[in-house]
Amino acid sequence: MSTPPRIDVRDLVVRYGETAAVDGVSFAIAPGELVTLLGPSGCGKTTTLRSIAGLETPSDGSIKISGRTVYSRRERWNVPSEKRGVSMVFQSYAIWPHMTVFENVAYGLRVRKVPAAEIADNVARVLDMVQMRGFADRPSSKLSGGQQQRVAVARAIAFSPNVLLFDEPLSNLDAKLRAEMRVELRELQRRLDITSLYVTHDQEEALAISDRVIVMNGGKIEQIGSPEAIYNRPVSRFVADFVGSANMIAGQVRGPGPDGTLLFETEGGIKIEVIAPANGDTSGTVVALRSSYIHIGHVSGSHNAVNGTIHRRMFHGDFIQYVVDWPAGQLIVRRPPTELFEEGSSVTVSFAPLHCVLL
Amino acid sequence: MSSFGFRGWVMPLLLLVCGGLVLYPLAFLIIESLNIGDPQSFPPEELGLANYLELFEEPRVITNTLLVASIATVLAVLFGFIQAWILTRTIIPGRDRLERLMELPYYMTPLIGALAWGVLLGPKTGLINQVWQSTGWTSDFFNIYTPWGIAWVMALFEGTVAFVMISASMKSMDPSLEESSRVLGAGKLRTALKITLPLVAPGVLSATIFVFSEMLGSFAAAFVLGIPGRFFVVTTAIWEATLSFPPDYGRAAAMGLSLFGAMVLTLGCARLIMRHGSYTTITGKAFRPRAMEVGAMRFPLMTIAWGYIIVAVILPLGALLLTSMERFATVIIPQMQFTLANYETALRMGSLAPAFANSLILGVSVATLGVPTIGVLAWIIYRSRVPGRGLMEFVIMIPAAVPRLVFGLGLLWAWINIPIPIYGTLWLLGIAYFTVFLPLGLRTIAGVVLQVDPSLEECARVCGASWGYQMRTVTLPLLRPGLVAAWLLIFIASVRELGVSIFLMGPNSKVIAPAIVNSWLSSSSELSAAMALMQTAMVFVAVAILFRVARRVTGAPA
Repeated sequence: MSTPPRIDVRDLVVRYGETAAVDGVSFAIAPGELVTLLGPSGCGKTTTLRSIAGLETPSDGSIKISGRTVYSRRERWNVPSEKRGVSMVFQSYAIWPHMTVFENVAYGLRVRKVPAAEIADNVARVLDMVQMRGFADRPSSKLSGGQQQRVAVARAIAFSPNVLLFDEPLSNLDAKLRAEMRVELRELQRRLDITSLYVTHDQEEALAISDRVIVMNGGKIEQIGSPEAIYNRPVSRFVADFVGSANMIAGQVRGPGPDGTLLFETEGGIKIEVIAPANGDTSGTVVALRSSYIHIGHVSGSHNAVNGTIHRRMFHGDFIQYVVDWPAGQLIVRRPPTELFEEGSSVTVSFAPLHCVLL
Repeated sequence: MSSFGFRGWVMPLLLLVCGGLVLYPLAFLIIESLNIGDPQSFPPEELGLANYLELFEEPRVITNTLLVASIATVLAVLFGFIQAWILTRTIIPGRDRLERLMELPYYMTPLIGALAWGVLLGPKTGLINQVWQSTGWTSDFFNIYTPWGIAWVMALFEGTVAFVMISASMKSMDPSLEESSRVLGAGKLRTALKITLPLVAPGVLSATIFVFSEMLGSFAAAFVLGIPGRFFVVTTAIWEATLSFPPDYGRAAAMGLSLFGAMVLTLGCARLIMRHGSYTTITGKAFRPRAMEVGAMRFPLMTIAWGYIIVAVILPLGALLLTSMERFATVIIPQMQFTLANYETALRMGSLAPAFANSLILGVSVATLGVPTIGVLAWIIYRSRVPGRGLMEFVIMIPAAVPRLVFGLGLLWAWINIPIPIYGTLWLLGIAYFTVFLPLGLRTIAGVVLQVDPSLEECARVCGASWGYQMRTVTLPLLRPGLVAAWLLIFIASVRELGVSIFLMGPNSKVIAPAIVNSWLSSSSELSAAMALMQTAMVFVAVAILFRVARRVTGAPA
């Protein structure tokens, strides 16, 4: 990275008594980037975010924002929240019920003693951005969940912070609104070119909106990478399992295969070709295979083709999920709703070695 | 960190002051109860358990206390259960209004109840007894100056407490538990016996124990209705011991602490039973249980529900009102002579008028100084991460567990023996009120503090507000309704206070409640009735404001 990172977290540790909620986490976020902290509840992602906001006092490590140290255990330095120049959208929205929409959004500007005329302009501008123009004089207690969400975003960006933090901002919305807001938030973030750190437990959301995803588990980072890398090249069983739908096929590597692949023998005694790991480690005993990357019927170019039986078919609308009995147990296969097979029919399943990730 | 300085010194200071206010009188009480030398000397010359052993030489007081407490508990739980069942499980006209009115008996206080029932059922002169005798009977209909009378008055008051606890357990029951029983084929009766009753039982049981424990420590009714017939329960015996010559503070303290011990024990049992007996299916979630269509029964049921309100509030207040406006208390119409002289006397008489003024001054100043102090305490206990805040909460809640009269005794003894000349002044009463109302204030304010989502405050900080700015613009405005409610509740409690005041009141620092009692015991019931009504009016005005504030808060759409 040529430009210095906007957020730089080093060896962050947050302990509550004996247990470490965050256990040695390091990452950096470039200016304008949107990075997601993804993981199950209790993995330390929210604690990490709150530490950056200054709402949680870490036990060790250091945090820099825009090159300025805001927390350092070694230097005994801890800048209070209000002096960090960050902004945050809370999971509960934290809309102050005793203020109007305007007063909520103007809060950060009033704190900074911005002249009244300028405040009015700024508030109108950001309310416009979140499509809440015309709501300025509403008492904020009379807003729907989605509207509160928009006001919370407007308030967070109104005073032009350096860094925007999102703490599961969409988790209280219903599925349809969530999908819409996801698009809007990404649009807004791109437009303002604002460095953002986004916490979520929803892997679909993380993949959809991020430049990069940080997968966390048990207070540690499992993998950092682009959404595509996280999905296609998970580095651990946890990531493969948590992000997307994957089949875990147990077995052992028996030797090299054609075209630089490895030959993997599954528990049912079938040999499949899998891609060789970049690090050359062939001791893995599990192959992760995304259910969307499996074809039913023989597809040319797929080196791996095995016979099986359709055990169960479940129609999901956007896709059909099949449970296929095959010699190595059962495979979960997702196909578009156009590919209809009857339960009990014999089929061939095929998949490319490229999609078989040895873990 | 900017606010460290403030929290750094305010925390320990508050802990020290409040801890001292609460623990200092208790320590005195414990030491004095062990004093077997000259009861007047401090520190004691001789220590021993004689004061405690003496309690069992005169078991009368103990059996009296248990008798009154048992009768009143049975009656109160019966009242509470019936009211709770009618108001939560049946459909009767005006149900919501009735439910709101159920709070009124609680604001009547046992003192007012005892005075009013004295007026209604005093031997010979009681209004009901007058009517009874005018119809040809020679004996009284009922003499209220008996254990049964004391229990009756207390039961009417505690009935509301039982109602609140039992109806809460009826409301918190998921209606699907009963519905699934019906769906599985059980009839109405079988469902009531096998499902409803076992689920409500823990609530009824805990209400029973709680009311019993409160009864053990109750003072006013036993005082007003028991003393004339020299019928003593533990609390009145404590008061009596401090009046004997020389005052037997050691025995009083031993009795007080034993009473405290007995109450803690019963409440401990209740908690234990609740933990084992309560079913996890009963959650804190509020359900509106399915109410029964009762058809023609709805009018008798409505009459019963109104009956309680009438007997507990309207009849007593009516009797006081009538008496207070008469020259002589009577219901025989030709003999009635109406006058406002009693009110005039109450406001004019040298010893009485200051009592009203003093009570008002105390109510306003204790509430005004108490609310910000307790507000900061609540914020520290429920919001900060300061170590020791759990201990702080525990210490502050102690006065809630000690019977008011016993705490008053400790305060008396503690402040007599301190070389600051505030005994017999309003200052001492003010300090005492503040101490005993700490739990009330903390609980009320904590209710709102816990409702305010911490992220509302955090968001202000992230937006760039300093601690002070955040407090001023976000925290305090959000807490305002709770603070107003706490102010009013402390004011109400101060204006009605009896147990502590009766020990700490001096000739120049009279307050209302003890003044009413003294007037009742020494002079006319007509004058006492006028005073009691004026006190009740003060309380009801505050209650009306309180309800309005509460309605505005809960009425606002979320």
